[in-house]
Amino acid sequence: MIHEDMICPFCGCLCDDLVIETEGTEVVRVDNACTLGSHKLMNAGKHRLKAPIMRDSGRWRDATYEEAIEYTAGILLDADRPLLYGWSSTQGEAQGAGVSMAELLGGVIDSTTSVCHGPSILAIQEVGHPGCTLGQVKNRADLIVYWGCNPTEAHPRHMSRYTTYADGYFLENAFRDRKLIIVDVRKTETGSIADEFIQVKPGGDYAVLSALRAIVRGREDVVPPTVAGVTKEQLLRVAALCKEAKFGALFFGVGLTMSPGKYKNVRNAIELVDELNRYTKFTLTPLRGHYNVYGSNEVFTWMTGYPYAVDFSRQIAFYNPGETTAVDILARKECDAALIVASDPGAHFPKKCLEHLTDIPTVLIDPMHTMTTPLVRCQIPTAVTGMDAAGTAYRMDGVPIHVKKFLDLGYPSDTEIITKIFEKVTEVRHP
Amino acid sequence: MKALFNTGRTSAQGQGLEAKAQPEYMEATSICMMNPVDLMDLELEEGERVLVRGPAGEVILTAVQNEGVPRGTVYVPMGPYANAVIDAGTHATGMPDYKSCIVDLEPTDDEVKRPAELMEAIGGLAYEGDTE
Ligand code: SF4
Repeated sequence: MIHEDMICPFCGCLCDDLVIETEGTEVVRVDNACTLGSHKLMNAGKHRLKAPIMRDSGRWRDATYEEAIEYTAGILLDADRPLLYGWSSTQGEAQGAGVSMAELLGGVIDSTTSVCHGPSILAIQEVGHPGCTLGQVKNRADLIVYWGCNPTEAHPRHMSRYTTYADGYFLENAFRDRKLIIVDVRKTETGSIADEFIQVKPGGDYAVLSALRAIVRGREDVVPPTVAGVTKEQLLRVAALCKEAKFGALFFGVGLTMSPGKYKNVRNAIELVDELNRYTKFTLTPLRGHYNVYGSNEVFTWMTGYPYAVDFSRQIAFYNPGETTAVDILARKECDAALIVASDPGAHFPKKCLEHLTDIPTVLIDPMHTMTTPLVRCQIPTAVTGMDAAGTAYRMDGVPIHVKKFLDLGYPSDTEIITKIFEKVTEVRHP
Repeated sequence: MKALFNTGRTSAQGQGLEAKAQPEYMEATSICMMNPVDLMDLELEEGERVLVRGPAGEVILTAVQNEGVPRGTVYVPMGPYANAVIDAGTHATGMPDYKSCIVDLEPTDDEVKRPAELMEAIGGLAYEGDTE
């Protein structure tokens, strides 16, 4: 069977033009997706955990859904400070149920944002977000900047759908008419096709952004001959390119958010864009990794007022990244139970945090056997959203998209499982 | 030799994400990309192993030559190997120093551990049930 206009549930591009062919319960062909998306869709049916598993006296055994749900509700109810972490590769509906449950439990809910674009949000909270939709970029932008990111590897269709290789309504020959600036600490494949490739010394982004701001402001006299390995000539050229553009779009990745300076780097980038808006139209968009990590920020914000790292232990929503973020809570050995949903801290958290996860009762809700599996006491497999479950996901520019279902493999969705756990918790906390 | 430790995505790491129990994921995340000159300085050939010691511990990786990586820095795809050496401190931001820790490199003959072994070393229990 051929399914058209399907959505790719991998990265924040949420490409919506996939053609997927299935035979029975197998995906046999995926058209239009990039290698990451087609790899996920071709394989996500194959590597599923068959049923819930639980750790029992040093061994793994199969369990039923009822037993696993009962166990999860039990450890969350018993805990003084449960941590509910993850929420990036799941539906908005599941995220909403998670927030309600965290509130009722007086726990902490955090998403993978805290280790990807959390710093971007901190910067946006300080100075605002000059953003726009990807459609605007595609149709209008004649200058694209990628800073501290590598779309060729991490968002492979970003350039062909929205920027360099995408036809635009207001551009006659999109590829020729668009200029491309790449800023990175190492020369990647993306860098080799750029009109300007700026190689910054590691940790030098803040200085380079400041130098560009000075130049745009007309104060090139204060800029030294080189800034973090970048020559003043190149900076002058780049600033001129930016000012001449009719519509510039800056995209940035974790190269800015994870490097020294963290959210201050992003703040400086936003302020550069602000500076450029005195001359022309310029926008800025974080390149979000997981397909619905943006959704977790949206859902948490409508429900609690805060985008991630929300702590309900004071009976009101409290937010203080660096204190209420998952890595910090785990490193301080503060939580006494954890529910991990649709994310893999086992692969992405520092070792010290994982040691604490193994010390406390931890439950994982994830379709696949992941790096987190060995660390938990119980894993509940669910359907993959965008494959055997439908739901809402937010693209990296904040546009909500209905992610479709095209297979039925008999697994419950994340929303169903979380709602069931929530019901059990409610029976005890709000009988 | 000291080096700045940088981590990030690669498409091979991204492809492995949905099947981390498979050998491809281990191959994609247990490499250490280095400048050819640094590789020479360490008297290492591509494919040989390097011991990386960071603020939180050490890990053995396979050295891979990459011209794009500047001298004095190494690039390791994000994953359990990179995280074995990174410290959990976040300087009050929630974000660990994934791109700015200093590591020590030295050649080694020891084998790269399997991801399950890494997890067992920190108190986990490998699940072998669905590895095909
Ligand atoms: S660019 Fe992202 S959303 Fe688009 S097909 Fe590739 S992985 Fe999927």
